[in-house]
Amino acid sequence: MNNEHIIKLIENKAWSELTDSDMATARAHISVCESCSQAWQAARISALLLKERAAQTFAPTPFFETRVLAALREQQNQQWTWARMWRATGALASSMVATVAAIAVLTFVMPSSPGDSVSSELTSASNTYSAEEVILNQGTVADNQNDQESDAQVLTTLYDEEK
Amino acid sequence: MRRNSPRVFAVASRFFRQRSLVEEAAQEIFLKAFSELGSFEGRGSMEGWLTRIATNTCLNLLRSSKRRPELTVSDLTEDDSAWLESKLSDAASERHQSSERSLVAADLAGRVLEGMTAADQLVLTMIDGEDASVKDVAEMTGWSESKVKVQAFRARRRMRQAVEKLLGRGGIKVPVKGSANASS
Repeated sequence: MNNEHIIKLIENKAWSELTDSDMATARAHISVCESCSQAWQAARISALLLKERAAQTFAPTPFFETRVLAALREQQNQQWTWARMWRATGALASSMVATVAAIAVLTFVMPSSPGDSVSSELTSASNTYSAEEVILNQGTVADNQNDQESDAQVLTTLYDEEK
Repeated sequence: MRRNSPRVFAVASRFFRQRSLVEEAAQEIFLKAFSELGSFEGRGSMEGWLTRIATNTCLNLLRSSKRRPELTVSDLTEDDSAWLESKLSDAASERHQSSERSLVAADLAGRVLEGMTAADQLVLTMIDGEDASVKDVAEMTGWSESKVKVQAFRARRRMRQAVEKLLGRGGIKVPVKGSANASS
């Protein structure tokens, strides 16, 4: 038994779980095995360190509760802000969709309706006469009328003078 | 919250050795518990449910923080060396040590543990430090019992090797064979 190393024994169990029999076996072995003796000491020190570590706990401070409640309130506010932003984004997106749909209807559906004849007439008229021509024509007609009147007036005047 | 704060602080103290970090972890635990309150089905105890949340939150916090390099002999303070030497030479003094020396030991243990993984720290502190059973740790973490056993086995080996390095290279006199005080 003394020839069997005890490494597995001390790794399989926590120090406090080692039985008297385990201890006796270990003592018998470490008296003849240098490496196991060192391992045994290290395991014992490890166990002591862990016990001391476990014994050190912190108690909550008096302000801890207030601090947590403040953090909780802040967290809830953030959640509400996000929820509001999310709702606003949804409303904006739906209004944009509605606008795009309305524009699409106006663009693709309305031109094919009969009520659009005025614009088509204007389009065809603009193809035949330019605005300049219309104005000039109007001027010519007016000039012709003035010329005719003046000729009549001249004749009247001439005949009146002969009489 | 007032009733459960000591329990939550006890769990967080297993993982962190600075008060500020323990408080931050405890706050995180309560915030998480409040947000997950709807998931508590009332099957087990409220304390058990909260302890599970606390353990997992601390494990995650520890995993996300940067792991420190393994403690070396050069990091040991005079107090650390003195404590180690006294433990090697006089096992009987274990029961009579002052609170100051306990703090030195707890601090040294914390620094040794900081070089290990979060899971190693958990099983070592709970099983070897607090004498918790494998079943307790399995329930608290949600791991299988065999996983806890394997984790504890490996963690013990790593801890022992780390301490062995400190003892062997730190010029601390390890008693010659035969005189080793093997106290339980």
